[in-house]
Amino acid sequence: MLFLYTLLFLVLVVAAVFATPLRSKIWTALALTGAGALWASIHAVRVLAGGTVEALWTIPDTLFGGDSGSLDPLSALFVLLISIGGVASVLYSRGYLAHTLAEKSPAHVSLHYTSLTVMFYAMLGVVCSDGGLSFLFFWELMTVASFLLILYDAQRREVSRAALAYLIMMHIGFVLLVVGFVRLDAVCGTATFEALGQYFRTQSPLPLFLVFLAGFGMKAGVFPMHVWLPEAHPAAPSHVSALMSGVMIKTGVYGILRTVAALGELPVLHTAGVILLVLGIVTGLWGVMLAATQNDVKRLLAYSSIENIGIILLALGIAALGKASGNHFVALCGIAGALLHTLNHSFFKSLLFFGAGNLLSQTHTTSLDALGGVSKHMPLTSLLFLVGTAAICALPPLNGFISELMIYLGLLDGIASGSDILASAAGLASLALIGGVVVLAFTKLYGTVFLGSPRSHEVAEATEVDNLRIAAMALPLAGILFVGLFPQAAVACVTRAAGFFLRTPADAADWLLSPTLVAAGRIAWLLIAVTGVLLWLRRRTLRGRRIAEGPTWGCGFTSPNTRMQYTGESFSEGLQAIATSLTQNSGEGSPVGKGEIFPDAHRFDIGHRDRIGRLFSAWWVELLRVINQRVMRLRTGKINHYVLFALAFLVLVFLLSILNVI
Amino acid sequence: MALLNTLLILLAALCIPGLINRTRARLAGRKGIRFAQHLYDVHLLLRKGAVYSTTTTALFRTAPSVMLATSLLAILFIPVGDLRPLVSFDGDVVAFAYLLALGRGALILAAMDTGSSFEGMGASREALYGALVEPALMLTFGTLALLSGHTSFAMLFEAGAADDTKLIIVLLLAAYVLTKIVFTESGRVPVDDPRTHLELTMIHEVMCLDYCGVDLAYIKMSTWLKSAALSMLAADAVAAAVCPRWWFAAPLAVVLTGLSVGIVESTQARNKLVRNTTFILTITALAALVFFTGYLLQLNIAIQ
Repeated sequence: MLFLYTLLFLVLVVAAVFATPLRSKIWTALALTGAGALWASIHAVRVLAGGTVEALWTIPDTLFGGDSGSLDPLSALFVLLISIGGVASVLYSRGYLAHTLAEKSPAHVSLHYTSLTVMFYAMLGVVCSDGGLSFLFFWELMTVASFLLILYDAQRREVSRAALAYLIMMHIGFVLLVVGFVRLDAVCGTATFEALGQYFRTQSPLPLFLVFLAGFGMKAGVFPMHVWLPEAHPAAPSHVSALMSGVMIKTGVYGILRTVAALGELPVLHTAGVILLVLGIVTGLWGVMLAATQNDVKRLLAYSSIENIGIILLALGIAALGKASGNHFVALCGIAGALLHTLNHSFFKSLLFFGAGNLLSQTHTTSLDALGGVSKHMPLTSLLFLVGTAAICALPPLNGFISELMIYLGLLDGIASGSDILASAAGLASLALIGGVVVLAFTKLYGTVFLGSPRSHEVAEATEVDNLRIAAMALPLAGILFVGLFPQAAVACVTRAAGFFLRTPADAADWLLSPTLVAAGRIAWLLIAVTGVLLWLRRRTLRGRRIAEGPTWGCGFTSPNTRMQYTGESFSEGLQAIATSLTQNSGEGSPVGKGEIFPDAHRFDIGHRDRIGRLFSAWWVELLRVINQRVMRLRTGKINHYVLFALAFLVLVFLLSILNVI
Repeated sequence: MALLNTLLILLAALCIPGLINRTRARLAGRKGIRFAQHLYDVHLLLRKGAVYSTTTTALFRTAPSVMLATSLLAILFIPVGDLRPLVSFDGDVVAFAYLLALGRGALILAAMDTGSSFEGMGASREALYGALVEPALMLTFGTLALLSGHTSFAMLFEAGAADDTKLIIVLLLAAYVLTKIVFTESGRVPVDDPRTHLELTMIHEVMCLDYCGVDLAYIKMSTWLKSAALSMLAADAVAAAVCPRWWFAAPLAVVLTGLSVGIVESTQARNKLVRNTTFILTITALAALVFFTGYLLQLNIAIQ
């Protein structure tokens, strides 16, 4: 029944979007998603406030023994996240796609907006489903819709390549999930997440846990399955990157959260905690190191998403370890940090990808070394991007600081209370290093793109984007400011949702965390106030004095030009020198030789590729090609051969069934 | 009492640069400049007008205020010996580290705002060294948390109360690591040389090349406060091991940093820039070693 309804809904969406005229398709999509978001948010807020579970659908007797959907506080939190991210990115798409409408066919644009709407609803379906058939169905719908979304600029070769790689990797993940759910169904009779808890209690839990972790990790971009992210994000239109990076990869996190929760308080939780912590550390460090060496805005942001997934896993790992060793405060800090960081990342990463979209549409490039000085031409974009930058660096007084404070508190308390000293110390040192390198990566990004002087004439001619796009960026901005300035209220939402993992009542959790959160909130306001006072003092001191303007001090050199500025590549050169083993560096063209006193024109491109990405694309693509070649031999084109194959298949099934194999 | 604590740190911040200059002068056989010369310099800066580069934006003008605000807030968390800090909560160590990071980030962006290759150079180095020193700082806080069983500065140094020789060793080692962090964070030899006259080799100084007047004064004050806060932490660790009283810790912070920086600057040359990363990674390795030492000692205590 559910599928009939979904099919009906799909047809309606397609009809609605295709029927509206080209310019208004966006409004149809916006109305469809906006209505859904409003409806879902109202329910989500009600569930979060009441701490109840709202049943949505129940279908008996389907595959996997019945199917149901419900909205519990954890789902509600993700519903809110999806609603905000989804509406913001549809709103943003109007201005971003406006100039491409003329060159695309109406059907193409319709397909895009249909996919956008379907993707939004599919994600809602994923987080509301209890598991089993409907979960897999919505999961696959989400994958297909996002695949179509990436393909908006399908005429570009790298776009279709990236989209195809994405589709293949997602289906490997999907197969893993199917295997997991089928195994679950075979043992328990149903395949919901609740049954997963029962499975873990009765069977050996670790293999199935790993299968689910790998399946969900593929979507979330966990190392070493992250290779699709830095390819797909630059290829997709920016609002799609924002939706995928800010929202879609969080469904992977959602799956991992459910899986970890199903482990209950079994002894294996400790092992799972260690696995998650190590995965988190590796993912985070790998992501941030690669992010710092990238010279393309969108690739840098994509790697930073990987890093943030690492931080979330690290927090989840420490939460699992705390729970396993009976330290509820550590568990609480860890899970609150993981959930809040999930929410926070969706805010600032959407904002940053929208900012990257503004850059791309106004200057037609996202290469760090071709931009520069954008803040004079696009002041609003650059201000919003600055807030996103500070938030992703976890700097006070913004939201990233609050979630990382929670995670640090869990790690430090794990050390101080002596429950998991070594694991916590490893997490602490890694998180500190990640935090430090993030500042490097994002000051590099902001400094080379927005500050200094323009490096190309496109930048010098750039203008600010339309107000609708700024409005779309204001939506995540509001989230960033709310969490940063009112941390207690924000964490209260999250502790309501943490009930799936912790038995600590939400009020008790709030009480435990409140001293730190109240202080963090005060620090945020105090910081703003003190900065304001200092600025005022500065103005007062300077009043009436001579304020001159002149060129930047050139250290005795009288004719500096814009090409002499520090570039992105040179900014991260120091880090590059100590992290050479992580990247595969390529140089194309010829560098200026040492002997050339009066060098001619040279062209030299430096690239830093992901070693894991190369590894993957090298061997498995080759393997697939070989297998494909072998299989293609069967395609003879003669009907009698095909009949023979069908006969052979039937005989095989017959033999297997009388031998009781299937 | 909490106000006395803050006043003592402010006082230490004002004294440390003077003592460094005095130590350096004496070791070189000179009489040296006035003890309070740096204060006169800042006073002079505060009376000046300003020149701004046409390349810069509002960010350049805001950054010094942000930087000073973060340093002012950061010193509120630091205890002096047995005195309570003004602000204290679980996890304030994190807030301290990230406030300093905000100040650093603001100055890095301000340096990039000028579009100068020299300032970009300084910004890039500051970003790298700042990133690499962060784990050392956090691991040291972790070590102290391990020994004391608490996660706020106010309680972090109470481990020494046990009067255990082993703990004293770990505390002194932590103080050593913290002193090394002071060297790095405040841009002193062997990482950076504030007296250098070649922009190509500068780190911290080159980032403020385009600042003058009030803005430069703000940056200078912020640097003093930052190094005073970190020195006070090192002094607290020593005091916790030896004599946990404020009248011991406060002068110790001034003497410890003043003398050690002065002596090192008079006797050592600055590192080659490529060696700096090794130097800072060594601090991190040391911090990890101190942590392990603390861990092993704690295990031993538990067995007894």
